Amino acid sequence: MARSAKKSSKVEDDRSSLFDEEFLKKLEYLHMVSRKTFVGQNRADRRMRKIGSGIEFADHRKYSTGDDFRYIDWNVYGRIDKLLLRLFEEEEDLHIYILLDASKSMLIGEPLKLHYAMQMAAALTYVGLANLDRVGIIPFAENLGAHLPVARGKGRIFKVFDFLRGIEAGGPTKLEEATKSFIHRYKRKGLVVIISDFYDPSGFEEGINSLRYNGFEPFVLQIYDEKEVNPSFHGDLTLVDCETGSSKEITVSKSLIEAYKREHEKYCAELSDFCSSKNIPYFRTHTKIDFDELVLKIFRLGGFLK
Amino acid sequence: MNLLAPIASGTIVTVAAVLAGLLVLAYILKMRRRRFEVPFSTLWQRVLKEKEATSLWRHLKRLLSLLLLVTMVGLLLFAALEPELGGAREDARSIVIIVDASASMKTIDEGEDGTKSRMDAAREQVLLLLDGMNADDAIMLMRMDGRATPMSRFHGDLAKHRKTLSTIEASDTPANLTASLSAAADALRWRKKPQILLIGDGAYSEDALASATWEKVAEAAPSPADGASEPKEPSFKDKQLASVDLAGIDVRYQPVGKAANNVGIISFNVRRYISNKLNYEVFIEIQNFSEEPATRRLVLFNGDSEIDVKTIELAPGQRITKIYPDLGGGAESVLRARIESVEDEASDAFALDDEAWALMPENKRQNVLLVSEDNLYMEGALLIFDHLEVDKLAPEEYEAALAANELPEYDAVIYHAYTPENILPAPTHLLYFNPSGPHSPFPITGTLNRGRITQVSETHPVTRWLEMSDVNFDKLSTFAVDASAAEVSLFQSIRSSVAAAKKEGRRKVAAFGFGLEGTDVMLRVAFPLMMVNTLDWFAGADSDLITTYTTGRPARVPLDGTYGISEVLVTTPSGANQKAPLREGYATFFAAEVGVHQLVARQGGEDVAEIQLAANLSSASESDIEPSAELSLGGKKLDAPVIGSATPRQSLWIYLCLMVLFLLIVEWYTFNRRITV
Repeated sequence: MARSAKKSSKVEDDRSSLFDEEFLKKLEYLHMVSRKTFVGQNRADRRMRKIGSGIEFADHRKYSTGDDFRYIDWNVYGRIDKLLLRLFEEEEDLHIYILLDASKSMLIGEPLKLHYAMQMAAALTYVGLANLDRVGIIPFAENLGAHLPVARGKGRIFKVFDFLRGIEAGGPTKLEEATKSFIHRYKRKGLVVIISDFYDPSGFEEGINSLRYNGFEPFVLQIYDEKEVNPSFHGDLTLVDCETGSSKEITVSKSLIEAYKREHEKYCAELSDFCSSKNIPYFRTHTKIDFDELVLKIFRLGGFLK
Repeated sequence: MNLLAPIASGTIVTVAAVLAGLLVLAYILKMRRRRFEVPFSTLWQRVLKEKEATSLWRHLKRLLSLLLLVTMVGLLLFAALEPELGGAREDARSIVIIVDASASMKTIDEGEDGTKSRMDAAREQVLLLLDGMNADDAIMLMRMDGRATPMSRFHGDLAKHRKTLSTIEASDTPANLTASLSAAADALRWRKKPQILLIGDGAYSEDALASATWEKVAEAAPSPADGASEPKEPSFKDKQLASVDLAGIDVRYQPVGKAANNVGIISFNVRRYISNKLNYEVFIEIQNFSEEPATRRLVLFNGDSEIDVKTIELAPGQRITKIYPDLGGGAESVLRARIESVEDEASDAFALDDEAWALMPENKRQNVLLVSEDNLYMEGALLIFDHLEVDKLAPEEYEAALAANELPEYDAVIYHAYTPENILPAPTHLLYFNPSGPHSPFPITGTLNRGRITQVSETHPVTRWLEMSDVNFDKLSTFAVDASAAEVSLFQSIRSSVAAAKKEGRRKVAAFGFGLEGTDVMLRVAFPLMMVNTLDWFAGADSDLITTYTTGRPARVPLDGTYGISEVLVTTPSGANQKAPLREGYATFFAAEVGVHQLVARQGGEDVAEIQLAANLSSASESDIEPSAELSLGGKKLDAPVIGSATPRQSLWIYLCLMVLFLLIVEWYTFNRRITV
C-alpha cells in the first residue's frame, strides 16, 4: 500500500503573455477610471507631507535663532506675545517605489504569485506614470535586485513590461535586509508599495518600520494563493520549505489542517493589525481575484491616489 | 466460548510470530513519506508546537494502519482456532460413532414392508443420535467395514456430520470390529468423557467381540515365569497387542436389523490338476444360517455356460461341502457359483453371498523347440504334457534354420548337451542341459565326478516338490552364480551350484549342469516334475498362485516381470479404476467389491503384466445376518445409547472472517483518504 512520493505540482514560469494587448487595455481603463472617480484636480500631483516652501499652511513651531523672519506669524505674536513660525506643506513630484517580492515562495500558486504581483506592479506603475509621478520598481528577495530607475511619463510603460519580464526570481525573503538596502540607496522620500506574500521567517515589522522611520510611506499589498490557505494533502508527509530547504516530518490530519488555517489567518491578521496601528494602507488578495478589480479597490479605499 | 483448536497451539504461535514480523517489516517499508513543498514552513512549525500536547494520540494515529493489520491477523488466527459460542459445559463428551458399513448391512429387512436396507436404518439411527447431542459434544464419525475409516475429525457441527453420514454406503467387505474399536479408542485417548456408539447389526466374529478388555492392560497380572504344571499363558506383550483397551470408555450399542433368513456361499475355489492341467476341480461350501430348513438350486458356471446344476436341501444351521472333481472342457477361466431360490421359497434378504467367483490359474499352450540329438527320455518327458507343442531339431538343423531365419517364434527352447553361440531373441525362454564352453548362460567353474545333489532350493518354482538326493550323476558341471544379479542357485553339490536360473529382462533362463547321459535322473519322478516346473515357470503359470481372495483383507499378488514398476492399475467389478502399490514384483491388493478384478502393470504405455483375481465375501460371521439385539464386548453387555435433546451451537469463524473483511475495507478507505498511510 505504499505510495510513491509525490512533490507539489509546479506551474511553469512563463511570462511571455503577462503583458499583452488585453493587459494594456485594462491599464488604460484603470487610468481613466482613476482620473474620473478619484482625482478631482487636473494635475494629479500628490503632496508629500513635507514641510517646506509651499503655499498651504501646515503648522506652527517656535522661532529659533536663524529662522527666516518672513515666516514669523505676527498675528499670533500680537495675540499671545510669542514668536511662532508659520510652516507650509512643500509641494513636489511624488516618488513611487514599488518593492516587488521575487523570492522563491512567490513562485508557488496557480497562477504564480509572482506573475500576479508583476501585473499589480505594472498596473500601479502605469497609473503612477500617467499621473506624472516618478515611479521605480525594485525587486527583492534576500536583498535588492536589479532595479528599474525612477522615471516619469507613461511612455515608459513598455520598458516597465520588459523589466518585469526579466526579473530573476529565487532566494529567501528577507524584508528587513531589503528595506535597509533600499533606504541607503534611495534618498528621495516617497511612497513605497511593498508587493509580497510577507513569508519572512524573521518577521515583517522591522522591514516596514525602517521605511517609516526614514520618511517613506509604506503601502502594503499582501498576495497569497488559495492552496496555501487550504492545503489538499493528508497523511504522513515530509514538508519542505521551498526557500530555506528545511524539512519537517509530520502527519497531516484534518484537525491539523484546520489549525494551520487558523494560524495562517492569524499571521495575516497580525500584518493587517500592524499596518492599521501604523496608519499604513494594507490590502490582501489571493491570486484568483482579477488584478484590475484589486486596483480599483485600492483606488476606492484611497492611499495610493490623492 | 470453546476453542476446537484443530491446529496445534505451537503452530499458531509460530505462524503469529512470522506474520507479525512480516507485518512490521511491511509497515516500516510502507512508511516512506511523500515530500511536499510549502512556501512558509514557519506556520506549520507554529501549528505543530501547539499540537505537541496531543502527540501521543498523533503517534497512535500514525500506527493505526499497523494496528489494523495486526488486528486482522489476530482475528484470522483466532478464527483458525474455531471458536464456538455456548460456554463450556461440564458434561461435554467426546464421542466416536462407529457406523457399521460391512456387507451384512446390505441386508434388506428393515422398514414396515421389509424393503429398506440395514444401512438406511443405521443412518436414521445416527441422525436421531446426532439430533440429541449436546452443543459441546465433540463427535467423530467412523465407518467400519474391512477397514476402520474416520470420516471426520472431532467437532460439533451437526450439519457437517449429517452430510458426511449421507456419503456412507455399505461395502462388500466383512466388518473389522477390532480395528474400528482400536482406532476409536486411540482417537479418544486423553479426551474427556469418552464414548463409543456402535451402530450395526452385530454380525461380528466371536474373536473380535472377545478381543476387548475393560481393564487397563498395564494392570493385568503377568503370567508366572516358571509354570511347568500350569498351561502357559500368553505373555504380557501378546496380551497388550492382541486386545483392544476400552478402559474408561463408555461403549454403547444400537442394533439395527430384524430377523432374516439367509443361505450363503462361504467358500468357493478351484484348482487345476498338476498332471493334467486342462482339467480342474471345484470346492464349494454353503451354509444355511436360518432357523428353518432351506432348499436352494446351486448352479455352477464356466464363463456364461452352465456346467452343473444341483438342488440342495439344508437343515437349519447346516453347512455342506461340495467338490466337483475332474471338470474340464470349459474355455473360460472364470468360474461362478450361484445359489437360487426354488419356486416355492422366497429368496433370502442378503444377496451378496448368493454368488461367488473363482479363477483358474492360466493354462497357456506353449510352443517348445527341443534342440538335441535323438533322446527318447527327453522327448518322452515332453510328450506327457498336453499343453506343449514340441518341435525337435538337431543342432546342425537348428544352426542352419537360424542362419536362414526360418525359425518360427517359440515360447521356450531346450538345448540338450549343446550350447549354441546364437540363440533365439527374447522373450523366448531358454533351458540348458549340460551347457559347455564360453556360451554357457552361467560361467562354468569346474566339473564334479560322481557328484550328488546335496541341497535343493526351497523357494524357487523350478524346484518345487523335487527330491534329488538319491539321484546319481557320473559328471556334474559347476556354475558361478552371481546372487547380486538376481541369479539363483537351484541345486547345489556341497556348496557348488550345479543348476541355476536367472531373468534377463522378460527372458528367463535355467541351466542344469548335467545331461541325460551318465545319470539316472530320467528314471526318477523328479525329471518330469523338473521339466513341468521349469516350463510352468517360463510361462508364468504358478500352481501355487492364489487367484481367489476374501474381500476386506489385503492380499499380496505376484506379477511376473514387473520389476521397476511401482504401481498397478486395478479395474474393479463395478468398472471403477484405482491404483495399488507394486513392490518387487508383488502388488498389494485390497478387494472391496465381490467379483472379478483386473490388475494391469504398465510401463512406457505398454501392458507389461496382467492378472485377474476373484474376490468373495467368504465370511460365515458376515453371512450370519441374524441381528444381535444385545451385544457383549469383552464379556460386558453393552447398553443402548441415550438420545438427549440438542442444544444449539454457533460457530464464530465466519463472523471473524467478515470482521477481517470489514477491517480491510476500513484500511482501504482510510488509506485512500490519507488518514493512514
